[in-house]
Amino acid sequence: MSGKHGHKPFEGHMHDYLAHIKAVEEDLEYYRAKRFEPRIFYLLRRGVVTFYDLLKVRSTLKRKDHFFEIAKPQGKNIEARVRYLEEWLDEYVKGIALVSARTVEGMDMVTEDNRKERGDYDDFFKIKKKEHHGTLEERMVNVERDLNDYQELLEVFVQALIKRGWATREDLAQRWKQLHEERPWAGGVIVAKAWTDPEFKHALLTTGREALREMGVHQGKVGKLVVVENTDIVHNVIVCTLCSCYPYDILGDTPWWYKHESYRTNIVQNPRACVKEMFQLEISPGKELQVWDSTSDVRYFVLPQRPEGTEGMSEAELAKLVTVDSLIGAGYALEPAQLSAREAAHVEPEMPRVRPD
Amino acid sequence: MNDTISKYKIGDAVMVAAENPTGNPRTPRYIRGKRGVIGLVHGVLENIRDHRGIHKPLYTVKFDLSEVSTCHDQDSIWVDVHEEWLSEVRPDS
Repeated sequence: MSGKHGHKPFEGHMHDYLAHIKAVEEDLEYYRAKRFEPRIFYLLRRGVVTFYDLLKVRSTLKRKDHFFEIAKPQGKNIEARVRYLEEWLDEYVKGIALVSARTVEGMDMVTEDNRKERGDYDDFFKIKKKEHHGTLEERMVNVERDLNDYQELLEVFVQALIKRGWATREDLAQRWKQLHEERPWAGGVIVAKAWTDPEFKHALLTTGREALREMGVHQGKVGKLVVVENTDIVHNVIVCTLCSCYPYDILGDTPWWYKHESYRTNIVQNPRACVKEMFQLEISPGKELQVWDSTSDVRYFVLPQRPEGTEGMSEAELAKLVTVDSLIGAGYALEPAQLSAREAAHVEPEMPRVRPD
Repeated sequence: MNDTISKYKIGDAVMVAAENPTGNPRTPRYIRGKRGVIGLVHGVLENIRDHRGIHKPLYTVKFDLSEVSTCHDQDSIWVDVHEEWLSEVRPDS
């Protein structure tokens, strides 16, 4: 999910409903075609669950036996409906995580299996994503209908796993609960510490995960971490052109565009034009732009430059200046005046969701 | 990680194979057959969440943007490449 809608309620107002809905559309199709359906195919091919299991479950399933419960919208206005779709998407993504990992003994699917199954290396296996058009209202109706369909397949799939004896309802419920325990986003704290503590910064740039471990930042096992520093002469940008690798165990979900093909293609073909068009960043001619393509076991993030006018600010204050985009190189850390302006306009702070592994 | 098993060192000029040498597909097409310089040496990394088994040593190879695209800005693309994809290039060749 995008950091743009990884919010807590009542923290701020939405300013661009269409942008929120577009982010939901992108993420919804990504998680369906890149995470859930490849998982179904993987288990179907191995006979763990069959099409016929799904049909049988579907024809006998009663409402009261549903595993997932989707909350109703908190009102009829557009903002409430957008939030409802965002929350639903988030539940759907968590539901996919529930069935993607360790649900079937001996059928663990490592990331590489998933990449093969979903066609990262062979267009033949690509699952077509839907395209979205229309007015805001039409798009909201369509997204709701898609969510309804996708959620139903997820429900039936979970029920089939239980019915075939691959998982118990109790174990799944326990894991479902864990999936809702979110951890605080550590991006701001890490960067603020690096800005104020030269020793930590050195450790972060040279040892990556080890420095974070000593700092007490929780992290999973997603490859080696390399942190690249923006300076007066270098601007770094992160991408994964093969899929969408990212240190999500530390930094939570990526913005939707990070997974989008247009970004993944353009950033390595014409980086300056790409960051200008997509993020309105003008990199001065005297600066070298370095694009980091995480194609294997390394995950990257950018240490943004400390903004002007922040002398004497505490780590906690500095942490608020750090944006999700600035850790990818798609933006800069906010200047204090920009943060004040955002706060005055009640723009919600970016806070991606960091879920348990 | 173990540096002694890595064949190349930082600064070595290398060429990426044009074809997939061993079936490891994690090398994007736009750098295949292209020349670059070793930027980082990672050694052998264990990553059980991503794949089974152990791959050859890993490097981050620095490519001039003009080597891998039609764009002529003085920028660079840094890509993670496993050792079996790389061969040595003499600086003057």
